[in-house]
Parts: sequence; structure tokens; C-alpha cells
Amino acid sequence: MIRFSKLFFYVTVAVLLVWQLPWCYAFLTLKPAKTPFTMYSSVLGDFVITQLDENKQLHRYDTKGNTYTQQQVDSLLPSLYVRQLTADERFPDTICGKAISPKDIQLTNFTFKSVPSAINAPQTGLYFLMESMSKRVDLKMPEDAFRFTDKGIEFIRMETNRIDEAKSKLFTDMLVQKGFAFPASYASGNPTTRKDYDEGYLVLDANHKLFHLKCTKGRPYVKAIRLPEGVLPEYVFITEFRSHWTLGYMVDSKHHFYVINSDGSLVKSALPGFDPAKDELTIFGNMFDWTVKLSTDKGDCYYAVDATDYSLIKEHAYKDIRRSVPGLSFTSPDDKFVRPRF
Amino acid sequence: MLRIDRTIAIQGIDHLWVVMVQKDAIFIDLLQFVPLLIGILLAAVQFFPEMQRKCLKLTLHLPYSQKKMVMSMLAYGVLALVTCFTMSFIMMGVYLPQHFTSELVQRILLSAAPWFLAGFAGYLLVSWICLEPTWKRRVLNLIIAALIFRVYFLAPGPEAYNSFLPWLTLYTLLIASLSWISVVRFKAGKQD
Repeated sequence: MIRFSKLFFYVTVAVLLVWQLPWCYAFLTLKPAKTPFTMYSSVLGDFVITQLDENKQLHRYDTKGNTYTQQQVDSLLPSLYVRQLTADERFPDTICGKAISPKDIQLTNFTFKSVPSAINAPQTGLYFLMESMSKRVDLKMPEDAFRFTDKGIEFIRMETNRIDEAKSKLFTDMLVQKGFAFPASYASGNPTTRKDYDEGYLVLDANHKLFHLKCTKGRPYVKAIRLPEGVLPEYVFITEFRSHWTLGYMVDSKHHFYVINSDGSLVKSALPGFDPAKDELTIFGNMFDWTVKLSTDKGDCYYAVDATDYSLIKEHAYKDIRRSVPGLSFTSPDDKFVRPRF
Repeated sequence: MLRIDRTIAIQGIDHLWVVMVQKDAIFIDLLQFVPLLIGILLAAVQFFPEMQRKCLKLTLHLPYSQKKMVMSMLAYGVLALVTCFTMSFIMMGVYLPQHFTSELVQRILLSAAPWFLAGFAGYLLVSWICLEPTWKRRVLNLIIAALIFRVYFLAPGPEAYNSFLPWLTLYTLLIASLSWISVVRFKAGKQD
């Protein structure tokens, strides 16, 4: 017994040292790696980079090394600085040969972000389906929550904590009619009243077929979205941007990024491999281009993508910026689980 | 649970469900360190008098297996904690399903599980520290115990320990073996 006790003691001390010493070293010595703020300018045809130097002075330059003042950058990035240009009465009549107003810019600008910790987190399996076609301007949270089971979809009235059998049967029947195979493997929605409209959920069924589900005037709206041959979706993201141009995004098993248009058609983008479970993706989009930041364990890469056909215009990479100290850790910035890992 | 009742009265049950699903709220955060404190207090109250004036010597001189006696003392404390914590779980298990669906009840109970394991760890580690005869070693044991306690409170969100719980439970039970090192050192007459 004493031998076992001593062995247990030494193993515990060893594990604690392997856990705490690298953490202390990293805490005291490592600085967070940050890439400069980088945006693609369709006006310039290049990335505009804004960076603080050692003297805390802001420098603005492009990838060729040309420097710019703040006023010049405002004009190079009219979608980003629309309010400043409008206030200064410098907003151009046309951008890239297209007649544009500040309101057009504000309607079409959007930001999208996907982080691994939101994907790799314990899910409750409960969702909220809002009414998409109420006669009111303001959206309202529903009185029930729903979950997918092996046999169908169940709506639970929160007030009574009881299943709404009639509504559950209505939605289950519609899903089955459209070819949905239970249980669902993935669902993405945005149940909040802080948006202009509601598009319900994008759902992957048990066979990884893609469906669009929403509630319209209390009745189920279900549409099967046709996928190209051989494409197996793994992750979907609903967007609900002000422009109504896109319904959502999809990532398949080969880490290709697709745009789901509002009419249900799918367009494959030119973005290279994106694994939502490991990589962080941020998109700053406007009516001309998207600036896509893809953060992997190797570094940050910026891609300029055409906003109409999603082809790749340019890319700019910051490599080898990640620094870490090897050791045992129980948590990770990429997930919300506690378990030992190196 | 009073907090849940109050929130239901003010904002409605809908709000609770939404906040639990979307904001990772579990509403029993105040409980977080209570099991740990209970475990530590129980160990201090049980073993500190034993080590004052070295009363443990008398216990170890009884015609009975010393290992069995020490493990029986620890088992008594563990059983007391099992009774106490089981009552808490039963109370939550009866109250919560009245307002929440099974997924949310599971979320709350599984999020609280590592806190209750910390209670057992607190009892066993403080027993180990109290039974240690020298103050120098007690300080070292205290530092090690503090680091071990940290492992139980790392959760970045609810149900974070789900896959790690079985291993953590096993490790927590094995902590009981550390007390035997202190007793052996006590028997050997180690002093400051």
C-alpha cells in the first residue's frame, strides 16, 4: 500500500509540474501574436495594412510598401469608412465604375465569424424556431423550444414543460414528406430578436442532406437544398444579412467553402481548405469584395474574394506567428472541454 | 433554486430556457465552492483533534489493522459527504424537472458534478495534510493540494467535464491513498 501511495504521489507531482511549469513560462515570457489589421481595397486592387509600430504610431501601407495617410485610406476603403466619408462629404458617386450611395453600402456590408470553440462545445440539442412571417416589424422569441429525436422533431412549450404534440406532428410530417431522415446531424440558426428578419434553420439530416426549415404563419416551411454530386456537407451556417443575398454558408467533408444563395443555389468559393473545428474564419464583406481572414495553427492568411462569383482575387499571408510552449494542458482556446492534452 | 424561482417570477420561464441554451447559464453558480468547503471543513474537524497532542498514536496502538482503521476513518468522512451531496442532487433532481426539460436538467447536474468531486478531493487532501506530522511537509502538501483543486474548477462552460468525469472520479477516490504516506511518516516519528 505504501508503495502504491508513493507512486501515486510522485505521478501526481510529475503531472502537476508538466502542467504548471510550461504555463508559468508561457505566462511570463510569451507575448500574444497579433497580425496587423488588413483589408482588401477594390479601389486600389491590393490589401491595405494598418499597423502600430514600436513608438505606438499608426502606419498604413499596401503590400508593395506604398504608405498612405488616414484620409487616403478612407477613400481606399469606402465600404469600411462610409460614415467618415459621408461626414466629410467625400463619399464618391461611383465605386469601381458603379453608381453607389452610402445606404447601398450600409445595406450590403456584413461581418461573419466562425471560431472553433463555438463548434467544439457541448450542445444542449435544444433550439428556438421563431415565426418568420408575423405581421409585426419586431421579431418575437417563440414560446416553445424544439429538439430533434430519432423519430422526428419535438416542440416543448416552455411554460408547461410539456410536448406540443400537434405542432410536433405537423412539422415532423412535413420534414418526412420532404425526405428528411432523422435524427438531424447538425443545425444552424440565429434565434434572436436583434435582426431584421428570420430565416429559421439550416439543418443536415442523418444522411447529411441539407434542408432549410422555418416557421411561416405557424406552419412548417421545409425546402431540400440540392447539393452537387459527391458533396457531403459537414457544417452549415445561417447568415441573415441585411442584403438578403445569401441564405448561409456550408463547409463540406473536404473543407471546401460554399455559399448558399437566397434562392437555394450553391456556389463553391475559391477559398482554400477551412476546417471549422480547427480554424478561425472572419469575413468582412461588401458589395464588391470579401476580405477573408483564415487563422490556422500555422498563421493568419488573408484572402480577397470577389463578392459576385466568389473567385479568388489576391492573398496575403502572415506565417510562423504562433508561439507556444509544449506541455500538458486541461483546456484549449479551440474548444470548451476540460480534458488532459499535450 | 430560490434564484431560479425569483427569475421565473420576474422574467418568466421562457427567459431562463433561452439564457441557459444561448448564454450557457446554469443558475447554480453560487454552489460552486460549497462542496469543496464542506469537504475541507469535515476533514479539519475530523482529523485536527486527532493530531493535536498526537491522539492518533492511541488509535494506531489498538489491536486492529492500522490500514483498515485509517481507511475506515476516511470512509466515514466520504460516506458523510456522499449522504450530504446525494441529498443535494436529489433536491435538484426533484425540483429542476418541474421547470426544465431533461436536456437542461442534465446540463445543470453534469456541470455541478466536478464541484461535488472537488468536495471529496477537498476532504481527502486535507485529511492527508492534517495527518502529516511535520509542518514543512504540510506546507508542501498544501501547495500540491491547491494545484489539484484547480483541476476541478477549469470549466470554460457547462458540461465541459463530460468525457473527463470518469477519470476524474477514479483519481479523486485514489487520493485516499495519500493519507497512508502521512500515517507511515507519523508512525516513524518524523518531526520538524
